[in-house]
Amino acid sequence: MREVTFLEAIRAALWEEMERDPNVFLIGEDIGRLGGAFGVTHGFLERFGADRVVDAPISETAIIGVAVGAAAMGKRPVAEMQFMDFISCGFDQVVNVAATYRYRSGGSVSLPMVIRGPSGGYVGGSLYHSQQFEAWFFHVPGLKVVQPAFPDDAYGLMKAAIRDNNPVLFFEHKYLYRRIKGLIPQSSDDFIVPLGEARIRRPGQHITVVTYGAMVHFALDAAHQLEAEGISLEVIDLRTIKPLDMETVYNSVRKTSKVLIVYEAPLTGGVGAEIAARIAEHLFEWLDAPIMRVAAKDSFVPFAEPLEKFVLPSVDDIVLAARQLARY
Amino acid sequence: MSTRVRNRIGAEEKLERYRDQLTREDLLEIYRRMWFARVFDETLYDMKKKGRLRRGNVYGSRGQEAIQVGTSYPLRPTDFVSPIHRDMPIFVFKGMSTRQVMCQIWGKANAPTRGKDSWSHMGDLKLGIIHSTSMLGSTIPVACGVAWALRLDGKTDSVVMTYLGEGATATGAFHEGMNYAAVHKLPIILIVENNQYAYSTPVELEVPTPRVADRALGYGIPGYSVDGNDVLEVYDATCAAIAHARAGRGPSIVECVTYRLQGHADHDETRARQYRPVEEIEMWEKRDPLPRYREYLLSTGLFSEEDLPTPPPEVVAEIHDAVEYAIHSPDPEPHTALEDIYDESAGVSR
Repeated sequence: MREVTFLEAIRAALWEEMERDPNVFLIGEDIGRLGGAFGVTHGFLERFGADRVVDAPISETAIIGVAVGAAAMGKRPVAEMQFMDFISCGFDQVVNVAATYRYRSGGSVSLPMVIRGPSGGYVGGSLYHSQQFEAWFFHVPGLKVVQPAFPDDAYGLMKAAIRDNNPVLFFEHKYLYRRIKGLIPQSSDDFIVPLGEARIRRPGQHITVVTYGAMVHFALDAAHQLEAEGISLEVIDLRTIKPLDMETVYNSVRKTSKVLIVYEAPLTGGVGAEIAARIAEHLFEWLDAPIMRVAAKDSFVPFAEPLEKFVLPSVDDIVLAARQLARY
Repeated sequence: MSTRVRNRIGAEEKLERYRDQLTREDLLEIYRRMWFARVFDETLYDMKKKGRLRRGNVYGSRGQEAIQVGTSYPLRPTDFVSPIHRDMPIFVFKGMSTRQVMCQIWGKANAPTRGKDSWSHMGDLKLGIIHSTSMLGSTIPVACGVAWALRLDGKTDSVVMTYLGEGATATGAFHEGMNYAAVHKLPIILIVENNQYAYSTPVELEVPTPRVADRALGYGIPGYSVDGNDVLEVYDATCAAIAHARAGRGPSIVECVTYRLQGHADHDETRARQYRPVEEIEMWEKRDPLPRYREYLLSTGLFSEEDLPTPPPEVVAEIHDAVEYAIHSPDPEPHTALEDIYDESAGVSR
């Protein structure tokens, strides 16, 4: 095992997949000479050359479109969005071109491609360097959506995403990049975390917390605090948002009968809404309390610290909601 | 660098120019293909009118046959194309069967998309046909990706030809795609079918320059503007663009100036004679590329009247056979609507 940061885990997965498979190539802004705005692809240009580490113009539509065309031809492109916020500029290529490709080919074309990049707030990034856009893509058939919380998952899920035969959106929370460290397997071990499988990061008895991304760490902090009060949280890290592993969620809810869903994106129309609806449809008679959600306020992510703190969910928000649920 | 405007070439000069490149059989095949396009178009309008084609629109290409044939004729099997909605015959010219194309139009289970999408939104990468979408312009970046894959595989002899109307050159995807292609010298040939109207909007409200091909100046690439109703001029400019691309010198824009003789689609026939001056339509009717090419062929002395039937009967037979085949093909089963959303097979592990 090796101890690495969250960012280094992603870099290791990309590097090893490029070494393993000559069909894998990277395309994005400033990923070659600079090595990426966050340094994820540092050293890749020197090792793999300019045809496989493509410094693209500021053209998200072209970056994603090139990935689509190359993937249709059997390549396994990994397109970097310098910030996931910028994926809006290439939205058509994602939802109308990539997502539909297999369908409109009558099942004859596979589209093995990954769109990855940093997302999320808590770093003073302000409006256009802080957003969590996963719900946009959660809504679209044909796509898969991943957001890991720990280095081992980031490593194993990135490898799985690159080897998957479908377009995968890979959200990397920038707050975790250098803050979170963990062990990952040696590169000689072929380690994969399958897409579509949630993981119980902390077993508990009283309340099921369903979450993903940076919020997993907030939920674990809240669980730690509430332990002293005798409230036991079971924290489920979804890891893959689409497809959703509802079985793991249902099994937990049958045990706890109380659900708190935590996500960082604005509350309305978020991934949590779908999870809540499915639990309500399938496990209504198992529930002892209303399904609760903690999410960002329906706002943008503002710059000034007091504003950002006010909008984004906090550990305290999770603690308060869990206490409320515990009282039922 | 400036846009190269190809002027009309005299018949004698033309014969001289093409004698080396095109045999008598080539000239005849081009003639046959232009008629294939014309009969294809007329047949589908007729099927729609008679109620035998009950679903979907028919996007006519009457008057644009010289472009469909002239641009695709020099392509090799190893080249790629992404035709748009006014280029249906190109699917056949690139190797798809006429029956397959008709099954697609009728939304049948045995169509390339299995009834999932309609009309030109299909492809077959083994034949070198890239699947396009309704978002015109969005296929240019995808074509760049196909070219990138060819580059990674060392297949530097193949070119990628992608089609657009003049209206779609106003999209952001057009710019990002052409810019990317030019920066990386990709073997892209962009055929702009300037038929003067994007649905109802005239070209001067889509493009600010005198010629659409002037857009090439912004990318430092060759831009040709040719008479799109003269099949050999279209062929000639396309050959120049292809040679440029095969030599590794990057993309070109070939603007083929023509006119959409019909409405945007079959539902638009009445209004299309209201938002456009009737005199304009009548003027372009006189420039119909089919009689023009036939006249030229007769002038060469290589062909008799009997050599050039209007239309060639085998073309009519092929299209009518395909229509009947499609009509009698099975409809897709409802549950197949949920198939082909994901590739469920395990990913590749080398």
